Amino acid sequence: MFALRGIAVSLTFFVLFYGLLSALVAVAWRLLKRLHATERALAGLLFALRILPFVASVGITFAFVVPSFQLLEPRSIDIDEGVGAMPLALGVCALLLIACGCFRVIAAQTATARLVARWLKGAHAMNADAGAQTVTLRSRPEAPPLTLVGLRRQRVLVSESAFALLSQDELRIALKHELAHMHGRDNLKKLVFRFCPFPGMARLESAWSQAAELAADDAAVSNLDDAVDLAAALVKLSRLVPVEAAPICTVGFVTGSIGARVARLLAWNEAEAGKAQPERIRPWYAVPPALVALFCVVVTYGPALALTHQVTEWLVR
Amino acid sequence: MTKVFSIFGPSSRPQLGPFEQQVLQKLWSQGSATVRELLADGKIHQAYTTVMTTMDRLYKKGLLVRVAEGRAFRYTPRHTPEELQRVTALESIRQLLGSGDASSLPLSYLVEAVSSHDAQLLDELQLLVERKRREIQGPGKKTREQR
Repeated sequence: MFALRGIAVSLTFFVLFYGLLSALVAVAWRLLKRLHATERALAGLLFALRILPFVASVGITFAFVVPSFQLLEPRSIDIDEGVGAMPLALGVCALLLIACGCFRVIAAQTATARLVARWLKGAHAMNADAGAQTVTLRSRPEAPPLTLVGLRRQRVLVSESAFALLSQDELRIALKHELAHMHGRDNLKKLVFRFCPFPGMARLESAWSQAAELAADDAAVSNLDDAVDLAAALVKLSRLVPVEAAPICTVGFVTGSIGARVARLLAWNEAEAGKAQPERIRPWYAVPPALVALFCVVVTYGPALALTHQVTEWLVR
Repeated sequence: MTKVFSIFGPSSRPQLGPFEQQVLQKLWSQGSATVRELLADGKIHQAYTTVMTTMDRLYKKGLLVRVAEGRAFRYTPRHTPEELQRVTALESIRQLLGSGDASSLPLSYLVEAVSSHDAQLLDELQLLVERKRREIQGPGKKTREQR
């Protein structure tokens, strides 16, 4: 009974934190729009913010709730004390949430695998692979024009139609764009989003998708010729309407606002791109605040555990 | 809310008279106002009663909300311009899909309209790309492929 109560309390805290943080993120992420940062940094921040509720809830649960229960909950009276209606109900909610996340991930993966297998029938390796450590395959004409598929073994698929439509330079730069997605592991990130369901996150995910596309454009382009080639490839491939909708765990080349992407590429300025880059957000900026936070946690860990246990007691009653 | 949508015609634009639109614009810029406050800056050249009737009509159409303030009412727009545009478009699409016996027919019109709009947009983007390409290549320069 002690273990069951411990699990119920932990799951209760997890679901409460998750709900609270998710609601906060769903409202507050728009503040990032004001940030003057590179698209890559923005995409990184949006991704971090999207998964923050799940990661923070798991972290808090394992760092505070579980130890406080283990250390401070008296075991001798566990025979008399039941699990309580509220922890039981919220615990079930947490389990449903986790099950829902798992189901969404499995469903997305299965649907993707099935469709990709069909696209890959009769596919063959291409010569032009943008010099990367990747397999680029020419696939059936009805497949999306240019798509990154796979999680562990990532591959770029180029449909026969796209291959026929694009010039050599356009194809090379479009592949570089997809390789940028590959290095960013954007397929995996999309799958992670599926694991953390919460209503009201669709706009954040859409903003991340757009930022990731712009970041991949930036990574692919190194001069004005490249920018114009990429814009031309975008326009050409936008005319190819895929027969089937692209599954979740793939990253298509023709995604996001095409007009905005083309306009941005045509306004590409070599000089400005070199010197007037928006400030990059470097990860090590987070090290001092993280150290301070760690110090605070270490100093106040004992009282924090006691407080957590008090809240637990209040919740269980 | 139904009242709001009933004023929209098939064109998906609110069927508001020019003066109603002017009043709504003014309220959007001011946030909220009484009839007297709306007339205060002298940009609306209409009688007090005309403005009052117009605002009352907009209230009855569900576009304004009002609270009593002394002997008058303070009016506030129910929607922001963006929200109004969104709900108008949504309701027009709903009306379109709901019309007719063959349910797939209105949807096919929609797909056709969107596709032709997309094609037009892509044509314009294509022109821009070609113009930019000519610009960077210049008259005597070789294209990348020629190089």
